[in-house]
Amino acid sequence: MHIVDGALANEVVIGGAALAAGGIALGLRRLPLEKIPAAGVLSASFFVASLIHVPIGPSSVHLIMNGLAGLILGWAAFPALFVGLLLQAVFFGFGGLTVLGVNTVNIALPAVIVYYVCRRGVTRGTPLVAAIWAGFGGALAIALTTALVGLSLMLSGDAFIPAAKLVFFAHIPVMVIEGLLSAAAIYLAAQVKPDLFDAMKGAPS
Amino acid sequence: MIRALSIILCLTLAPLPAAAHKVIASAFPSGDAIEGEVGFSSGDMAANLLVEVFDGAGTKLGEAMTDADGFFTYVPTQPVRHIFRADLGAGHVAEFEMAAEEVAAILGNPATGAAPAPTEPAATAPLAGLSDADRAAIAAIMRDEMRPLRREVAAYREHHDIQTVLGGIGYIAGLFGLGFYFAARRRLAG
Repeated sequence: MHIVDGALANEVVIGGAALAAGGIALGLRRLPLEKIPAAGVLSASFFVASLIHVPIGPSSVHLIMNGLAGLILGWAAFPALFVGLLLQAVFFGFGGLTVLGVNTVNIALPAVIVYYVCRRGVTRGTPLVAAIWAGFGGALAIALTTALVGLSLMLSGDAFIPAAKLVFFAHIPVMVIEGLLSAAAIYLAAQVKPDLFDAMKGAPS
Repeated sequence: MIRALSIILCLTLAPLPAAAHKVIASAFPSGDAIEGEVGFSSGDMAANLLVEVFDGAGTKLGEAMTDADGFFTYVPTQPVRHIFRADLGAGHVAEFEMAAEEVAAILGNPATGAAPAPTEPAATAPLAGLSDADRAAIAAIMRDEMRPLRREVAAYREHHDIQTVLGGIGYIAGLFGLGFYFAARRRLAG
């Protein structure tokens, strides 16, 4: 999922960095005081999730958890996931610092899209309906991320369809697992503390 | 202010080269050839992969295929810097190189195995009775013995222990705590 240094054309790297900077600026603007602890927790869970490997055939893929971050944080997922990616690059060598912008966009933009697609279903239904929407959102975020990774590779000269297909099919198990995890997390939150979502909206800063 | 800080942070960090990769690859002299391996840090090796060889100026010198264990051999013809590049797909690219001196050393002693050209006389004395074929066989055995060690060292270097993970979580807690502090201070002041 993380694209490494040297795999992309310079234009893609620069474009990704510009988009990521914009997203982070917008995300910080939409990060009220009340949401900062949640952003930290989700950033940490994203950071650790990448260490959970799901073995698939000869290779393995890891969890990403960007859908859950998007559902709870919205645009604030950009800075939260950026911090997670930065630390992954520094500590684990996942991805790299030059492609940090591209990776941030590839992972945080689907989170924001999921926020807009699924937010209404998650906040305005019974716990079961919320869980189904959250599961859908968790899987959708991974699917969109694979599409963006394929797109980044295509813009750098790879043929889009085989590259995207490869990444997409490798991540189907991750989509299933993340869908279930997101659904379980949101179901729990909706059952135990249904005011969580209202409380976290906070005052726009 | 936090916004400006984080933008500055991301801009200043961007041009730095990454210290580590999730793709591991290396090349080393092996008799009269260059041997190398390509794989992922998880221990999965890249089987049947095309490795392209370039010189320092970017001219393509040739190519090699990896075997089922991710190993490849390439016989150099010119004593120049060799750059190896392999595309593992899905955004994983390995690029590694061998310096001109090392390649020259390989070309300089095609038959005496992996030892560098200026060998100590004392070291070669016990080997004096050996034919070139024996030496090549010993060198091959040595390489076979070293291979699992080298892989283990590479895997160990990519290993993430609990301290690293906790350290990362600590950074996240600190960063967001700092953000919380600034945001709270701004709200109290305003």
